[in-house]
Amino acid sequence: MSQSLTITLILSSIFLMLLTTYVLKKGRIPEKYSLLWYGFSLIILLVGLFPNIFTWISNKLGFEVMSNLVIAIIIGSLLLLTMALTIMVAGQKKKTTMLIQEVSMLKAKLEAERK
Amino acid sequence: MKQKVLLIIPAYNEEENILNTYNTIKNYNKKNKTNYDVIVINDGSKDDTKKILEENHIPHINLIHNLGIGGAVQTGYKYAYSNDYDIAVQYDGDGQHDVRYVKNIIEPIIKNKADLVIGSRFVEDIDTFKSTFARRIGIKIISAFMKFSTGKKIYDTTSGFRACTKEIIYDFSISYPSEYPEPITTAEILKKKYRVWEIPVEMNERVGGISSIRAWKNIYYMINVCLALLAIKIRRYKKCHRV
Repeated sequence: MSQSLTITLILSSIFLMLLTTYVLKKGRIPEKYSLLWYGFSLIILLVGLFPNIFTWISNKLGFEVMSNLVIAIIIGSLLLLTMALTIMVAGQKKKTTMLIQEVSMLKAKLEAERK
Repeated sequence: MKQKVLLIIPAYNEEENILNTYNTIKNYNKKNKTNYDVIVINDGSKDDTKKILEENHIPHINLIHNLGIGGAVQTGYKYAYSNDYDIAVQYDGDGQHDVRYVKNIIEPIIKNKADLVIGSRFVEDIDTFKSTFARRIGIKIISAFMKFSTGKKIYDTTSGFRACTKEIIYDFSISYPSEYPEPITTAEILKKKYRVWEIPVEMNERVGGISSIRAWKNIYYMINVCLALLAIKIRRYKKCHRV
């Protein structure tokens, strides 16, 4: 692996860690999700620091170059993350629907009683 | 014993039809000494539907945000459940459905022969509005998938003119799909081993407004409904029991 890729990976990892820390500090994501992002940045950092292990793994898995393995890991994790988000959105939608229905029914009842 | 009947009328931008629909029901009640209650669910209409409902004292619930057909109809079932209705009838606000047929579709329920009755355009050959050729093909395909996933042939799978018992009112108030509710709930009800009947009805062409199933959406609609029916095939279902 080229030296510049090592540097890029390490810098990206640091950037991701700082970004995660920033949004965590601002309270925009719960701690439980920040763990996931720290995990991501750690993996990127490990690839940057110990490329040999990953080269070995990528050879065993049949990737021609190690960077392809890195990209495959990232795409795979993003897909899983999207899946998890889709499930969460569906759950949220169910809850808002229920809330809208209950509030609307209560409102109608109140207005009827007021008359 | 006289059973309490509620007509659930979902309305989204129905300012042209809703008053007419309501008056037709009211006059029918007067003439035939029937006692069909009405609840209009105004699904966040952007036109004057809300104003018309209020000015004419039509019983209604204004949803504080648009939910789409499934969420609106489910609100009606929740209302029916909390007000202890025996039978709920889904009824369109756009003049497509004919109140004279309500008697027919609630009859099997009153006689305890069915739990869900679908007002069907395709059971018998009545000379009536049966929608376009392409849509009839679509309904046939959905019907085939329905047969595959539930083992029962339902001819008019997308009919929004249906009546159901108290048990199903409760069931629907707990869970109701937000999209493509008619075919999906029919399949689910069949899987839960309720008795489903189809009764021939005539439907009118829409008087005004736009149907919620637009032409260009039809293929997307078909794919989704068929997929949902396949998912229902592999799921397990239990009746929701009232506590």
